[in-house]
Amino acid sequence: MLLILLAAVPGAFALICLALPGERLRQAVLVLGTLANLALVVVSWVKPPPALGVYLALDPIGHLFMSLAAVLFLATAVFFIGYHQRRLVSERIFLACFLALLATFNLVFVSSHLGVLWVALESASLAATPLIYFRLGARALEATWKFILMNSVGIALALLGIFCVALSASRIEPQVVLTVAGLGARGAELDDTWLRAGFLLTLVGFGTKMGLAPMHGWKPDTYGEAPPPVAALMAGAMTLAAFLGLLRIFQICSYAGLEEFAGGWFIVFGLLSIATAAIFVINNPDYRRLLAYTSVEHMGVMTLAVGLGTLGAYSCFLHGLHNTLNKGMLFFLAGYLWRMYGSKQIKDVRGVIHKHPLAGVLLMAALCASSGFPPFGMFFSELGILFAAAREGAWWTLALFSVTMCIVFIGVLTAMLPVVFGEPSSMPEGPDTKLLIRGEWRKKVMLAPVVCLAILALGLGAYQPPAVKRALDDAAKALFPGRAPAPTETRR
Amino acid sequence: MTLQSTVDGLLVLVLLLDLAMLGASRLMTCVRLFALQSFVLALLPACAELLHGERPGTHAIFIGVAAIVLKVGVIPWLVARIIRTGEVHREVEPFIGFTTSMVLGALLIVGSFVFAGRLPETSHPFSSNLVPVALSTLFVGLLILVSRMKAVTQVIGYLVLENGIYLVGLLLVRQTPLLVELGILLDVFVGVFIMAIVVYRIREEFDHMDTHLLDELKETQG
Repeated sequence: MLLILLAAVPGAFALICLALPGERLRQAVLVLGTLANLALVVVSWVKPPPALGVYLALDPIGHLFMSLAAVLFLATAVFFIGYHQRRLVSERIFLACFLALLATFNLVFVSSHLGVLWVALESASLAATPLIYFRLGARALEATWKFILMNSVGIALALLGIFCVALSASRIEPQVVLTVAGLGARGAELDDTWLRAGFLLTLVGFGTKMGLAPMHGWKPDTYGEAPPPVAALMAGAMTLAAFLGLLRIFQICSYAGLEEFAGGWFIVFGLLSIATAAIFVINNPDYRRLLAYTSVEHMGVMTLAVGLGTLGAYSCFLHGLHNTLNKGMLFFLAGYLWRMYGSKQIKDVRGVIHKHPLAGVLLMAALCASSGFPPFGMFFSELGILFAAAREGAWWTLALFSVTMCIVFIGVLTAMLPVVFGEPSSMPEGPDTKLLIRGEWRKKVMLAPVVCLAILALGLGAYQPPAVKRALDDAAKALFPGRAPAPTETRR
Repeated sequence: MTLQSTVDGLLVLVLLLDLAMLGASRLMTCVRLFALQSFVLALLPACAELLHGERPGTHAIFIGVAAIVLKVGVIPWLVARIIRTGEVHREVEPFIGFTTSMVLGALLIVGSFVFAGRLPETSHPFSSNLVPVALSTLFVGLLILVSRMKAVTQVIGYLVLENGIYLVGLLLVRQTPLLVELGILLDVFVGVFIMAIVVYRIREEFDHMDTHLLDELKETQG
C-alpha cells in the first residue's frame, strides 16, 4: 500500500497543482507535496513495506536513492519559491510537471519489474521536458530538443536491452517473470550472448540518461539552459534513477556470473566520463556548463566504483549520497548567482564573497565538497575507490582515475576560485539585468535550502550515523546478489 | 498460401517499407509509409498466436488495436498536421543523398541478416526472419535519425526505431504483461506529442525546422 502511495501522493499533488488558482497557493502545494513525500519515505524506513506482486518492491538500493531524491526535491521546492519571480511558460504546468517528475522517480525506485522500471523512467524524461523549456527562447528550445531526442533514443535502446535480457531467459520453462529476483533465481540458465547484448544496450541507453560519456552531449546544454533548480533535480535525482536501471541489469549479470564482464565495461565508461569531464572543465567560460561537466565526472566515478567489487560499491553509494547533496548546493548557488549577476559567464561573476558573504562561503564549501576535500564525504568515497582499485589489483584504473580526477580538480578550482575570491566586478549592463531579483526575502529563501544541504553534507561527511552506514552497506551488498555473503569492510 | 508464408510476407513488406522510407523525398510520403508499416506490425501479434495454433487471445488483440489507434491513427495524423501547417519546403532534405542512403540502408539490412544468424536461438520464434527484420528496421530508423536535417524527419526516424524495438518485443509477447506493453505504447505516444510541440516551437522561433541550425550551444573555450 505504501509503495503505491509513494508514487500516487506526489502524482495527486501534481493534479491539485493543475487545478488550483493562484500562484502562491500552487507554490504552497509544491512544498506540501514534497514534504508529504519525505514523510512517506521516513515511514518506509520505520516500517518497511511488503512487496506488491511482482511489480513493486523496495530493495536497499532503491530505498537509498528514493530517500536522497526526497530530500533534494524538498530543498528544490523551497529554493524555487525564492528563485521564481517572472512567469514565462505556464507556471501551473511547470509545478505540476515538477511533482509528476517526483512521482515517476519514486515509481522507478520502487519498481521491481524491469518493464515498469522502463515505463517510469521514460515518463520521467517526458515530465522533465517542459521543465527545461521554462525560460523560453531559442537557446532553451535547442536544449529541450537535444534533451528529448537524445533521451528518447537512448531510452529506446535501453528498452531493446531489456528485451534482450528477457530473451536470455526465453528458453527457460516455465516462463520467468522479468524481475531481478525472478531472472536471478534461474541465473545459471540465462543465455550468455543475449544477456551480454542486453547489458551493453542498457549501458548505452541508461548511460545516455545518466550522462555518461560519450553519450553526455545533451547534458551541458540542458544543465546550462534549464532553470538551475531543474538542473539540480536532474543532476541529483534523475541520474540516480537512470543509474538504478543500470544497476538492476548489473544485478542480473551478477546472478548469471557475468560480474567481471559487466564490471569491466562499467570501469571503461566510468574512466571515459571522468576523462571527458577533465577535458571540458578546463577553461570553460560558463559556470553552469562547468557544473554539468562535474556531473558527468561524478557519474563516471559512481559507475567506475561499481566495477571494483564490494568496497567499490560501498564507495559508489557513499558518493551518490554526497553527489545529490552537492549538486543541490551547487546548482542552487548557480541559480542564486544568476539572479544576482544576470550572467552565466565566469568572467562576469567575481568576488562573490565580498558582495554576498554567506553565498560566497557556501559556494566555497560546495566546491570543496564536490572536489573531494575532507571532511566532506566525497573525500572518503574517492579514497574508498582508490583502496578498492588497489585491492583488486587494477593498477591502470587506479592511475588513470587519480590523474583524471586531479585534472578535474584543478580545472574546477582554477575556474571557480576567482568567482569566490576575485576582485568584485561591476554589474554587467544589458538586458539581462531584468533577471535580477526583487525583494530581500528571496535571498533568504534561496540560501536557506543551501545552508541545510551544506549542514547535511558536512555532518554526514564528518560523522556517519550507524543507520546511514547500514543503509549504504545493505545497498552495496544488494548489488552483488550472485556472490556468497562476505563480510564487508568497516573503514571508518 | 499458408499462414507461415503470410507472416514471412508481412515481414518482407516491413523491410521494403524501410527502404521506401529511406528513398522517399516528400515528408508526407514518409509519414504514410510509417503508418503502413505500423499497421503491418500491429497485425503480427495476432498472426503469431495463430501460428502457434491458438486463437488470438485478448492480450494480442488488445495490443494490436491499441497499436493501430496510436501508431496508424493518432501519431501519423499529428506529424502530418505539423507538416501541413506552415511548412514551406515539404521535402526531406537529407544530409546524404537518397541513393547513398538507400545503399547504406541495403548494407545495414544485409549486415542485420548476417549478425542475426550468429545470435543464439530463442524459444517460439514464429519466423526465423523476425530478428533480422527487427534489427534492420532499427538500424534504418537510426540512419534516418542521423542523416536528415529536419526535426520532423528525426521524429519519423525515432518512430521507425521504435517499430524495430516493437518487433523484437514480439518475441516476448508471453513474457511482457499487458500493462507494461500499454505503458510502453503510451510513453511513445506522449513522447511524440511533446516532440511535436517542440518542433512547432522550433518553427515559430526559427522559421524553419532544420536542426542543423540548432548549434548555438557548444563549447567555447576561452
